[in-house]
Amino acid sequence: MEICKIENLTFTYPDQKTPVLQSIDLSVHQGEFVVLFGESGSGKTTLLRMLKQELAPHGDLSGTIMYMGQNINDLDERTAASEIGFVMQNPETQIVTDKVWHELAFGLENIGVSSPVIRRRVGEIANYFGIHTWFREDTTDLSGGQKQLLNVASIMVMEPNMLILDEPTSQLDPIAASNFIDTLEKLNRDLGLTIIMVEHRLEEVLPLADKVVLLEAGQVINTDTPTNIGVRLKGLDKNHRMLRALPTPMRVFHGLDMEGKSPITAREGRRFLTDFMNGTKLSNEIESEMVQDEQPIMEVKNAWYRYERDLPDVLADVDLQIDKGEIVSILGGNGSGKTTLLNVMSGQNRVYRGKVYVHGKKIQQYKGKELYHHNIAVLPQDPQTVFLKNTVRKDYEEIAQVLYKDDSAIEQKIKDIAEQLSITHLLDNHPYDLSGGEQQKAALGKILLLEPKILLLDEPTKGIDAFSKETLQVLLKELQAKGMTIVVITHDVEFAAMISNRVGLFFDRTLISMDTPQAFFSENNYYTTVASRMSRHVMERAITDEDIIKICHNNQEKLYEKTVD
Amino acid sequence: MRSFSTYHPFILFIYYVFVLSITMFMMHPVILFLSLVGSLIFYMMLTSVRTLWKEIRFYLFVFILMAVTNPLFVHKGETILFFLNDNPVTYEAVVYGVFISMMLIAVVFWSKAYSYLMTSDKFVYLFGKTIPKLSLVISMALKFIPSFKQQIKKVHNTQKTLGIYTSESITDRIISGIRTFNSMISWSLENAIEQGDAMKAKGYGLKGRTNFSIFTWNHRDMFVFIIIVIVFIIIMFVNGLGGYSFTYYPVLSNWRITGNDIVKYILVMLLVFLPSLIELKENLQWKYAKSRI
Repeated sequence: MEICKIENLTFTYPDQKTPVLQSIDLSVHQGEFVVLFGESGSGKTTLLRMLKQELAPHGDLSGTIMYMGQNINDLDERTAASEIGFVMQNPETQIVTDKVWHELAFGLENIGVSSPVIRRRVGEIANYFGIHTWFREDTTDLSGGQKQLLNVASIMVMEPNMLILDEPTSQLDPIAASNFIDTLEKLNRDLGLTIIMVEHRLEEVLPLADKVVLLEAGQVINTDTPTNIGVRLKGLDKNHRMLRALPTPMRVFHGLDMEGKSPITAREGRRFLTDFMNGTKLSNEIESEMVQDEQPIMEVKNAWYRYERDLPDVLADVDLQIDKGEIVSILGGNGSGKTTLLNVMSGQNRVYRGKVYVHGKKIQQYKGKELYHHNIAVLPQDPQTVFLKNTVRKDYEEIAQVLYKDDSAIEQKIKDIAEQLSITHLLDNHPYDLSGGEQQKAALGKILLLEPKILLLDEPTKGIDAFSKETLQVLLKELQAKGMTIVVITHDVEFAAMISNRVGLFFDRTLISMDTPQAFFSENNYYTTVASRMSRHVMERAITDEDIIKICHNNQEKLYEKTVD
Repeated sequence: MRSFSTYHPFILFIYYVFVLSITMFMMHPVILFLSLVGSLIFYMMLTSVRTLWKEIRFYLFVFILMAVTNPLFVHKGETILFFLNDNPVTYEAVVYGVFISMMLIAVVFWSKAYSYLMTSDKFVYLFGKTIPKLSLVISMALKFIPSFKQQIKKVHNTQKTLGIYTSESITDRIISGIRTFNSMISWSLENAIEQGDAMKAKGYGLKGRTNFSIFTWNHRDMFVFIIIVIVFIIIMFVNGLGGYSFTYYPVLSNWRITGNDIVKYILVMLLVFLPSLIELKENLQWKYAKSRI
């Protein structure tokens, strides 16, 4: 049975000429897991919000949305509130109350359920989600992953039929995100819950999805099963932008111009490569360049750090040399102290033993602004914190005034940076109105106005979609080509493999290995990229999908001979 | 060691009302002394001997300061001890100073213990019964404040690395503070909008909202409730008959404790030592139960 049916939906925001959604047709069956996918600005969020009466935006609407055979606008308020659940992007802002148990009960209180029933339902749900161990905690003490889990639980307690999620894992680290998606799978499998979600972690979501809906510029360009979606995209355009956002095994599959059902998981990818290679063993001769210099641009020597005298060390005997013009990625789990290392490198925290040198000079010898003008710049995890003004331009102007005195020079500089980042059209927007990826680019722009020589990035891929990630990657490479030295602190293994000259792993308060990405990822068995995991049995040192495709192309003859034999 | 905190919030609430009212409004020296001892012992049980000792060292200083101040400024009383700058220092004023500071310190320690027991959710529960909207607002505020603080810290740290208004000078600090605060306004509004959406999505605003709490009233609560109410009523009754009256000025009332008085003071002891006794009892009970395993 169709739980939700959208027919010929067109929607235009009040102050705009072009519609955000154009003649959308979509039907979702009971118990289906549907993934919506598209670039930011393609109308995904608007479409999701249209499905939830309380959140539907105002504007010009034509077409119908039916829920269980009834127009969604005619639904009784109580039914609408409890049967359709909605989870938003930011785990923090959705939580209403200060205690976990109260948050779980909040929805039931609203629809007027009596206390004994609430007690039972809350107890049941807390057990199902494994929340019982932190049932009485304050909501502010929870980790991001726990918060998002609580958000889902506090909706599930109302026993919805349909759960709508808008990029729920974008603010979570990979492990928390993976746990969260597992929970969704369990809900879908155990309860037959209908799930409609917008998600960019396709690698984990696609294997679960029954249906993928591709949105582009407010239109559904395709709807199909995950295994066929790549072929459909290729049919539209051989180099479709969305192809590059697909999971690694799918990208390899399409990069090699294969036909048929594509592999989705690393396991399927591995099987596919075994068949494809047909017994040949190849290896990757490409190695990232190591930049070697006499004098490192930045050096951390035997650094020890702790936040307070009575607390344990966060950094213990850390040694790190950064050479001019390289991109170094430092990987590590949550709370391993990566961000602390970054703060030590940027002079926000001072080591209590050991030394930090910048351009061969001790960091504490830099006075006040010296360290941050024409020198070190930091892009924080939350790009929102960079902005203080009403428009991006005002923020830019203020910071540009520090380095340039002349008004026309300021204007020119802002123009240049905006063009380089292709954000000229965003300059007069309020920073908070930008999407995650745009916000990050704008924040990076503000920091680049200080003309840094060393750029430190803290989790730059958090909260941005696959497309913005690719843009960021290109951008960082461009900056590197201009001579900038870049240090990236990240969870994102794939991103590190793509951009770095060297990769290090931060574990147990110190850096435990530092190597070229090829050496680093091909030696690791668990802490490595999907491409490396699916190809290691037939190829040496291939760590990205591009590596695999390139190796296959370069050795076409060899592979061809094999198949002829 | 927190068994008293497991009682129903209402018990905690009326207990504190009773104990604070006899401490604050009945100026009898024996009551004040008992109340002080009761508060110290209970506070020690909630924390540790070390914490209590640390606190006492500070409050001893406060105690002496207050006890000395009273006779220096108040010259009532008949028994003059000596003259200071032509002003009489009286025996009664000294005694009053000692007991008034005893009262203040007892109130301080009761309140400290109270803050350990009366967590925000209990507080919200108590007042939510009468004003449901208010209790939700308090609960939301309690959630908002920590995240607001966190955000201020984040913005501040980021702005520091941008290198404007970051010197140690006072003007820079003030300007930097104002800038951060400005951005916090937009942040709060943004936050409020999203939170409003989340609340609407969960059906906030529908008619017939109920109030749920995880606190339940059981026979243990009933038992303690009856005891404290009866004891308090008797104390009030005795007080009404003048049983606990005591005057400091112009002459101190009679101090001597006679056999008849013992019962009066046992009642007060029962009230002020009740939480400590409960802690002690449940502790022993636990040890006993464990020894039988």
